Amino acid sequence: MKRFHRQFLLGSFLLLLASTGAVMAHRRWSRALPDYGYLTGWVLLGAIILLAVYNARKKLPFLPLGSSESWLQIHIYAGFFTVVLFLIHLNFRVPTGWFEGTLAWLYLLVTGSGVAGLILSRVLPRRLATRGGEVIYERIPALRHSLRQEAEALALGGEMKSPAIAEFYARQLSGFLAGPGNFWPHLLESRRPLNAIMTELEEFRRYLNESERATLEKLRDIVRRKDGLDYHHALQRTLKLWLFVHLPLTYSLMMFSLLHVVLVFAFSAGTR
Amino acid sequence: MSEQLPAPDFDSQSYERPNQKWICGHAAEGKPCRLGPDQGGHCRASSECAPVLEIKPGETKGRWRCTRPGGACETGPLPDGKCGRPISKCSPVATLRTRRGQLTRGVVAATAAVLLIMLGGPWRGKFINPGKLSTPHSGEAFAKFHAGRNGDQSCGACHTAGALGPSGMIFAALHSSPGPFAIKELIEAKAGEMTALDESCQKCHTSHLLHQANVARNISCSFCHQEHRGAGPIAAPTDGHCTLCHGNAETMLASSKIVAASPGGSGIARNFAADHPEFRVQSEKRRDPDTLKFNHVLHLSGETIPKPPNGEKLDCRFCHQPDAAGRYFRSIKFENHCQACHSLQFDPETPDLSLPHGNPDFVSAFLHSLPRQYADFAARSGMARPAEQNQFAQEKLQRLQARVGTGEDFEKRVFFSTATSGPETQVGTVRGAMHALYPGCAYCHEVKADDGGKAHITKPLMMDRWLAHAEFNHAKHSGLSCSQCHQAEKSQMTSDIILPAKQTCAACHSPRGGVADSCATCHIYHTGRTGRFARLKANGQVDAAAGVEPVVIGH
Repeated sequence: MKRFHRQFLLGSFLLLLASTGAVMAHRRWSRALPDYGYLTGWVLLGAIILLAVYNARKKLPFLPLGSSESWLQIHIYAGFFTVVLFLIHLNFRVPTGWFEGTLAWLYLLVTGSGVAGLILSRVLPRRLATRGGEVIYERIPALRHSLRQEAEALALGGEMKSPAIAEFYARQLSGFLAGPGNFWPHLLESRRPLNAIMTELEEFRRYLNESERATLEKLRDIVRRKDGLDYHHALQRTLKLWLFVHLPLTYSLMMFSLLHVVLVFAFSAGTR
Repeated sequence: MSEQLPAPDFDSQSYERPNQKWICGHAAEGKPCRLGPDQGGHCRASSECAPVLEIKPGETKGRWRCTRPGGACETGPLPDGKCGRPISKCSPVATLRTRRGQLTRGVVAATAAVLLIMLGGPWRGKFINPGKLSTPHSGEAFAKFHAGRNGDQSCGACHTAGALGPSGMIFAALHSSPGPFAIKELIEAKAGEMTALDESCQKCHTSHLLHQANVARNISCSFCHQEHRGAGPIAAPTDGHCTLCHGNAETMLASSKIVAASPGGSGIARNFAADHPEFRVQSEKRRDPDTLKFNHVLHLSGETIPKPPNGEKLDCRFCHQPDAAGRYFRSIKFENHCQACHSLQFDPETPDLSLPHGNPDFVSAFLHSLPRQYADFAARSGMARPAEQNQFAQEKLQRLQARVGTGEDFEKRVFFSTATSGPETQVGTVRGAMHALYPGCAYCHEVKADDGGKAHITKPLMMDRWLAHAEFNHAKHSGLSCSQCHQAEKSQMTSDIILPAKQTCAACHSPRGGVADSCATCHIYHTGRTGRFARLKANGQVDAAAGVEPVVIGH
């Protein structure tokens, strides 16, 4: 059994066990304990803080706090467990009021973006590995520039300069090679934009002589490599962009949660 | 197009630093400068190297040497010591990590700003309100009522923290009881204990003895009444609230010692179908004290019962008509429900002349003035001349006397006769009756004579509701026929109380039946000094002296 599967089975088992225990405890204690809502709130806040600490752990790699991989596993399964705690804390009812409604929405957005990130980090790397052309995200602009220079050298400044190819390059290819493109088609695994360019190249081919056709073949190869770079750019960017939702909203969630603690105790039955 | 792409070539000597915040603007061209941007994102490019002045022994001026990494350049430094190969400045580009940090800081600032604005502005109450207040605690009526008390109709009317600023709220939170960090106290808190917030409730609800007089200990208002759960009536307590006492043998025993004959005694009731006691009307075999004689069986299935004016067979709906809300039924009234068949026509020859109903003195006066009544009837029938009217009255009286004897005998018959069959088979416009429709007051009423022989009719006591502590809604039960709950077709006596037994209700109102079976589905809690029952009592709508307790008198 692979390590990943062992982790998955163990994590799922522990999550199921903890969730079942939490629901049973809820049924047992929700009516018996008058301050049950405060207690579940503290547990939920503690779990959310544990999840947030993962980000801090990543910034302190020098401290002997366990491997980042272990922390990630804890972050994922504890994150799912907070959904159960969240529902228990709400007593399985929809919150009303602006503040509590916003707090609940923040939690849902943070959790939702986390789940989305988990799915993306499971799916997209496989697609990237299948497509090949492995490249570091930060190097993509330089590689794209290099391809563009290579293509311009072929189309505009080659030894056997062809006006037809130069005109075709300026009209059909220069825009494609200028920057990243086709983000959504690549994310949705659509080859339609590439096929369209390839069809243009094929149709243009019959008007060329032998030497021009050789140049066109090289341009076709460059187009394919550029499309590969765009594919990597789209998928790797998506792998990074979900954190643009998850992280900032986590801080908002923490701020709202702390204020929520203050408000519930300030307006509790035990306060005059 | 499915073949794998090869990994692009790249300079293996070059590498990316994962923690760098800014990257050189020339990196996109594959030519990042060696220094790169500083931490603030400013370009540090100046030239390819910083020439060094080397002065050999014996030289006075020395010579500038190129220090470019990777080897000296061809041109070398300029005579003034500057590098001869300046690097063009770039616009450094923020990494995704940096942009994410900027966005995070922006979101944090925006969140803080929103919270400060919302907490510091006039919207604070609306912003932090966890839900709309119930109708009794909001709206114009409440505002008007509260204005006469302490005037504060905002959060501060009930919550001290509602009138405080942010620091005051933190102070209040830290000094709440139990406090935020008093985990042990939070765990060990006793359900229903009186809290500081109850003081706010008692500013208006001055007495806390809202339930039965035998409550063993006062229960916090907020234990049962969860506010901020939306407009409308305040949320009904759950079974958990009721069974705090009613499901606890110790509490109920203590309660029964306070008032021994308390309704419900020391019994435990946790679940309607399982251990709720039988309705006392049934378990104590109570009887309807009403003196009016009524036979449900006869009216529903008797062969001699004529059809009412609507032409349909007489059924429950003819007499038991729902009120405007459909919850209960309108009171039974002689004029609406009885008179159509039980007319007060005493003279078969003059069916349009009837005895008055409702007061025996009026009946007696009517009988003593029969000549005048006949004469007035003649006038109403179109006889204009008094002589003609008097003659009509005399003729009628003579024929009546021939049938009923003296006036005294006739009056006795009117009041005391209980004959179920009379000399006439038809009275007035109603045909097909087998006996006189008006045999006498005593046919339906309890009529007693005093020492002087004067008739006294006992006022009927029509019960609108038998379970005054409970709520019922007939409209919600309209899918059932009357006889599914009320055994009217077996009731021959007025004293029969044809309420269903508990098991009949529990057939549906139970987990098995699938219909709500919580305590609050039927019960009213505040039945003590200030509750709904007390209000009914104060309004004279409740009478506990009628042999059954409580009953609601027909009105």
